[in-house]
Parts: sequence; C-alpha cells; structure tokens
Amino acid sequence: MKARTLLLALLCLGLFAAGVLGGQSLSGPEGAFIVWQLRLPRVLVGALVGGTLALVGAVFQALFQNPLATPDTVGTTAGATVGALIALTFDGSRTVQGLPLVTVCAFAGALAASFLVASFASARSVHSSDILLAGIAVTLATSAVASGVQYVSDSRALFAATQWSLGQLPQVGYRGVLLLLPICLAAGAGLLLLTRHLQAFALGEELAHSQGVDVPRLRLLSLGLGSLGVAACVAWCGPIAFVGLIVPHLVRLLLGPSYRVVLPMSILVGAAFLVSCDLFARLIVPGRDLPVGIVTAALGAPALVLLVARRRR
Amino acid sequence: MAKLEFLALSVKVRDRTLLDRVNLSVASGDFVALVGPNGAGKTTLLKCALALRRPTAGTVSLQNTAVSELDARARAAELAWLPQHIRADEPLSALETVAAARFRFRESHAQSRLAAKRALSRVGALEYESRAVSELSGGERQRVAFACLIAQEASTLLFDEPANHLDPAQQLEVYGLLGELWREGRTIVCINHDVNLLNHLGEPERVRVVGLRAGRVAFEARLSESDLPARLGALFGVEMDSVRGTEQRYILPRVRRRS
Repeated sequence: MKARTLLLALLCLGLFAAGVLGGQSLSGPEGAFIVWQLRLPRVLVGALVGGTLALVGAVFQALFQNPLATPDTVGTTAGATVGALIALTFDGSRTVQGLPLVTVCAFAGALAASFLVASFASARSVHSSDILLAGIAVTLATSAVASGVQYVSDSRALFAATQWSLGQLPQVGYRGVLLLLPICLAAGAGLLLLTRHLQAFALGEELAHSQGVDVPRLRLLSLGLGSLGVAACVAWCGPIAFVGLIVPHLVRLLLGPSYRVVLPMSILVGAAFLVSCDLFARLIVPGRDLPVGIVTAALGAPALVLLVARRRR
Repeated sequence: MAKLEFLALSVKVRDRTLLDRVNLSVASGDFVALVGPNGAGKTTLLKCALALRRPTAGTVSLQNTAVSELDARARAAELAWLPQHIRADEPLSALETVAAARFRFRESHAQSRLAAKRALSRVGALEYESRAVSELSGGERQRVAFACLIAQEASTLLFDEPANHLDPAQQLEVYGLLGELWREGRTIVCINHDVNLLNHLGEPERVRVVGLRAGRVAFEARLSESDLPARLGALFGVEMDSVRGTEQRYILPRVRRRS
C-alpha cells in the first residue's frame, strides 16, 4: 500500500509538470512569458481548486456518511451561481477593489447559502441526513432565485452566465493564486486536522459521540471550513463538477478507506486530475480553450462507472 | 458515592412516555443488569447516560457532574458504550477501527495502533486485524466492537444486549469477558434479555437485576435471590419456572396451557 501511495504521488507530480510543459513547444522570451506568466499560474490555480474540491468532497462523504455527497451538497455552488448571475445582470465588467464583481458576488452567495445550511446543522438534535435534506432545500430555493434573476436579465448577461456556469480555470495570473492560496490552505489544513474525528465516524455518529467526538462542533467546523474553500474555488472558476465526487472514490478504490490516506491523497489526486483535465481542454480543439468543467464531467462520469464496475467483480 | 446516578429521569416524545421518573444509583464496581420487555425504556436510559438523548426532566450525573455538562472527551474517559447495532458500511480494517476508538487520547497513531492490537488480542480477534469490518461475520464484528470498547479504557461500561444474534458458544464467551472486565474493577450496566447468561459472570449475589417496565423501575433484586423468577414473571407477564441445574439455577418461561 505504501508503494502504491508513493507511485500515485509521483504520477501526480508528473501530471503537474505536463500541465506546465504540455502544449506547443515554446522558445525565446515569448515562450518563457507563456510558460511562466500564463501556464504556471493557471496550473497552480487548477491544483488549488482541484485539491480543495476533492478534499471537501471526501470530508463531506465521511461527515454525511453518504458516498454521493459532494462539495455542492450543502448549497455552496447554487449560492455562488445566484451571486454570479446577479453581478452579471447588473454589470458584468465592474470590479470591486480590483476584483471582478462576479467573483465577489459568487463568493458572497456561496457563503450565504452554506451559512443557511450550517446554522441548521449546528442545532444539537439534528441528524446528518437532515443536513443533507437542508442542503437540497437551500439548493432548490436558490435555484428559484436564480431563475427569477434570469427572467429579468438581458441576453448578453444570460450568455455570460451560461459561460460562467461551464466552469473554467481563469487566466488570473499570480494575483489569483495569491488570493486563493490562503483560503485553500486554511480550509485544507483545518480539515486535515479533523482526520481522527472523521475516522471515528466510520462506525456511526452515535458511537463516535460516545468515543468522545463533539459531533455538533465537528459538523460546524467541517461545514464551515469546507464551504469557505469551495466558495473561493467556485467564485474564481465557476462550478466544476465531478472532481469532488469521483476523486475521493478513486483514491479509496486504489489505496483503501482509511481517512489518514484518503484525505491527503485526495488533495494531491484532485489537484493532478483538474490540472490534467485542463491540459486536455487546452489541447483537444486546436486554438480553442474548452471549459474544463466539460472535460471533468465527460471524463469523470465514465471513469467512476468503470471503477465501480471493476470493484464489484 | 454513586458513580452513575439517574435522578427522577423522564423522557417524553410527543405524548409517549419513554421514561417516567426513573431513579437508579450505580456505585463504583457494580454490575447492573437491566431487564424488561421491549419498549420498556432500557436503551433510552443508556442513551441518556451518554448524553445522546436529552431528558425531558431529571438528570443523569457522573460522579456528581451532570453528563450534559461534561466535555465530550471527559465523558468518553468515564463512559464507553457497546450499542445494539453497529453500522459497518465502511470497509475500514478491524485494526484501524479499534485505533479510531482511541479518539479520547491525545496520542500518536502508532500508539493508538499498539493499544488497538492489545485490545484485539484480548478478544481473540488479532487474526483478522487487517480484514474490513464490513466483511466480518456477526460474531467477529461483535469482537471488534468489544475491542473498541476495551481500547477506550473507560471505567464504566454500558452494554446493549451484547450477546444478541450470537450462537451459544459466542454468548458464553461474551459474558465470560464481561465477568473479567467486571472483576478488573469496572462498573458495568448491561441490558440483557436472558438472565441465565448472567450466571457466567460469577458472584450471582453481587449482580443487581433491575426490572424496567413502561419506563419505570418495576423491581430490583440480586441474581441469587429466590423470588427473582416470580418477579421476572410478573415483569414479562408470563409464568416463570426455576430449574436446578448441575451448576446453576435456570429461570425459564413456563409453557402456556391452551384453554
């Protein structure tokens, strides 16, 4: 198992390198500019976003004891979509303190939606399945708001919103990396500190409680940190599906179910997965930049089915 | 001083009364067997002790502190629990599962694993330490659950029908182990459906049998007392016979005559 983990880690590092170097071979000062100023920051953003989404997916699957839980489960993405839509409807090009209004609004929307769910979850008497239901309810309610906003917006805003909802790694340079880095780092480090708590959850919430896990606090911490990380990712990139769902499953199938392995390796594999999907998106149609969300969904769905089918045999 | 004390404990869910002003005092080193018909409130009583359920009225205190006031880790240091059903959907290995039960200790994973190995070997489950709990048989899984309980190193142990769904040999083994843990000085509260199994603990004159019915304490007697069969009969609404065996007395429900 140790050798496998190491091998997988090496493969991931290789994929990062491919993400930076892949594409047209470049030389001269122009090539250096493209590699260092365009590709590297984009790969870094991809790695941060992919790692965060996959880690939060793994944590939520453990917390809700549900293999179908994803970072979107608690309404984060739906909230971000409403925020982005509102910004695009009013003025898509405006910036706040140098940040695109879309990003700011999406971040605020994501946090607002997850806050609704988290405040419900902090009540003592609720069960994990209730939180999942609350997440679905918030998602549905926010979708209704989104439809309302869409109804009053013009076709240009609608087109921009559709583009946004495809999910794309933005060309934001190192500034984007620096803005994402502290949030993702804080969320990631905080969630990794909960590994032992989540491991104790394996035999059920009540037993974990009897073993000394403060369940309401654990819920609040994981929901809060997870939503914060996901909100930042969605705000920059739009919704990128499947990474948070399939990467944890992939890691579990390859390396076993211990959260001591699954959580850190989800970060690494999620990062490598999104970076390689983005490389693929850059190269598949020459001269065009396909939204990476399309690639993750197109690759992720069949990959998951194949893996599950192989495990069953 | 009472170790675990239930004081006028009531639990109501809408108009249903699960527990009705229950008073029970468990001293350090006691063995209390909770018996009673299904729905009498036995599991609810244990869950109140664990602060898994909030009582409608009354309190449960652990060494004079209300359990609801205790920090989760501090409670886990005193109280460990073997529930009736264990969720084992996750294919975590037996060793990892028992190591996770050491949550209350602030120690390294290597230390947790070492303690987990000791607990597994004590219950005779070391041979399947690397197998997934989701793939173990009922008896094997129960041993792993026992190992979790032992690894937690609490002084008071709560059991909810620990021999449920086990074959006779496994049942004897479970009650033999319970007796061992008791003799080592632990305080034990155990929900039980077959008082005859309690004889495997040893010292029947020290085993407290508490009958619960419709959320109230109906009686308390020692396992060795001569009127226990009659009281159990009244508790379950059947006639109980007492049969002398070679080693022990058996209490069994009498066959009902058809009228």
